[in-house]
Amino acid sequence: MNGRKTLVEEGTQFKGSMTSDCPIEVKGRIEGDLSAPSLQVSPSGAVHGKVKVGAIQSQGELAGEFDADTVQLSGTVKDNTVIRAKSLEVKLAPANGKMQVIFGECQLEVGNEQPTKEIAKPASVRPPEPVDANGTP
Amino acid sequence: MADLTADAVLRKIKTGEKVERADLRGLAMPKALLEGVSFRRCDLDGANLEGARLAKALFNNASLREAFLAGADMREANLDGADLEGANLQGAILVGANLNRANLEGANLQGADLSGARLTHTQLVAAKLGGANLTGANLSRADLSEADLSTAKLIDANLESADLSGANLEEANLLNANLRDARTQGANLKNANLTGADAPGLVKKEGTEGLKRYFGKGDVLRNAHLEFDSGASVEIESLFEQCTIALGEGTEFVVGKSGTLSGCQIRGAGRITIHGKFVEKESPGITGATQLVVTSGGSLIGAVEQPADYTRFGFEPGCILRMKIQQGKKKDGGAERSGKAGRQR
Repeated sequence: MNGRKTLVEEGTQFKGSMTSDCPIEVKGRIEGDLSAPSLQVSPSGAVHGKVKVGAIQSQGELAGEFDADTVQLSGTVKDNTVIRAKSLEVKLAPANGKMQVIFGECQLEVGNEQPTKEIAKPASVRPPEPVDANGTP
Repeated sequence: MADLTADAVLRKIKTGEKVERADLRGLAMPKALLEGVSFRRCDLDGANLEGARLAKALFNNASLREAFLAGADMREANLDGADLEGANLQGAILVGANLNRANLEGANLQGADLSGARLTHTQLVAAKLGGANLTGANLSRADLSEADLSTAKLIDANLESADLSGANLEEANLLNANLRDARTQGANLKNANLTGADAPGLVKKEGTEGLKRYFGKGDVLRNAHLEFDSGASVEIESLFEQCTIALGEGTEFVVGKSGTLSGCQIRGAGRITIHGKFVEKESPGITGATQLVVTSGGSLIGAVEQPADYTRFGFEPGCILRMKIQQGKKKDGGAERSGKAGRQR
């Protein structure tokens, strides 16, 4: 992409669907569906909607439904948000420091492996169920 | 055929003759007064000494296999190296007795009083010790595998390097017991009292930092309710099933890589780290944690209810989550919580 990216600057509000071949950086606000190779949300940025990207790096505000391979989170995750990812990273904030991320009422589905609710014996090892590319069994 | 009859034994005792090394198989001397008598190296297999008074008697290296010693008073008796396999010592008084290196495999010691007894290197495999009093007993390096120690009193007992694998310690009282290097794989510790117990393998004290409690690999706890005080440090490498765990404020609670909490619930303002597995039974599985970290390789399936001032989360790449995050109930029931993660419009 030759270093090109789509930038939604601070003070800008975008409503609607956006599809991009370039990485998207949001310093302003997006409300709507979004598809791109990657999404970066700055501390001043907010993305509300359905998002399908390769990677998310957010320090801002997320709300809605997010599907990504990798997610690095800080900032805020609003109520009723679903995050699906193969890998999620949230750095632990120091005990007396500012919260790294504040989660509202939300749902996290992370990891390819389908975990089982029934764990019978310590010795038993259940092979992971086959999953498709989206991590769905 | 036995060398001596009961009458002959009594005659010998009266005249001061020794009965050591005698063949006394099947000897019947119930309730006999035999205090201080030496039966060293005697063969007393199948003997009936029910209710006999055998205080300070000497049975060093004697064979008492399948002997009937129920209710016998054997306080301070010396049974060093004796073979008591399958013997019935139910309700026997063995206070201060020396049972070092004795073989009590499969013996019935239910309700026996073994307080202060010496049982180092003693074979107690599959022994029945339900309700026995082992207060202050020295059981270091004893083999108690598959033994039944349910409701036994093991207060201040020394179980250092003892083998308790597969033993039943349900409702046993291990107050201040020494369990250093004890093997506890597969032991049932349901409702056992481990307060003040000392063992890096199971429970240990760490100076002013409070108690560090360690549940080792291979241990299984089912249907237990555990409470850990404020400031305690807990590490679990075991399998916990259907357990409820209450954490005091600031309690450090670590599920190790081999640890699995299945169908469990954790409550309280603790700091939780999951390297292993946590699976809830009833939602929310975790309530009120001030900190929750799931490391690479760790997995969490269940709901987490945050306290009023939020949970501090940490997730490492490689963790597996099927997780719902819920907001805690407001303390005053009044205004909306001041957090930034309010309801989405």
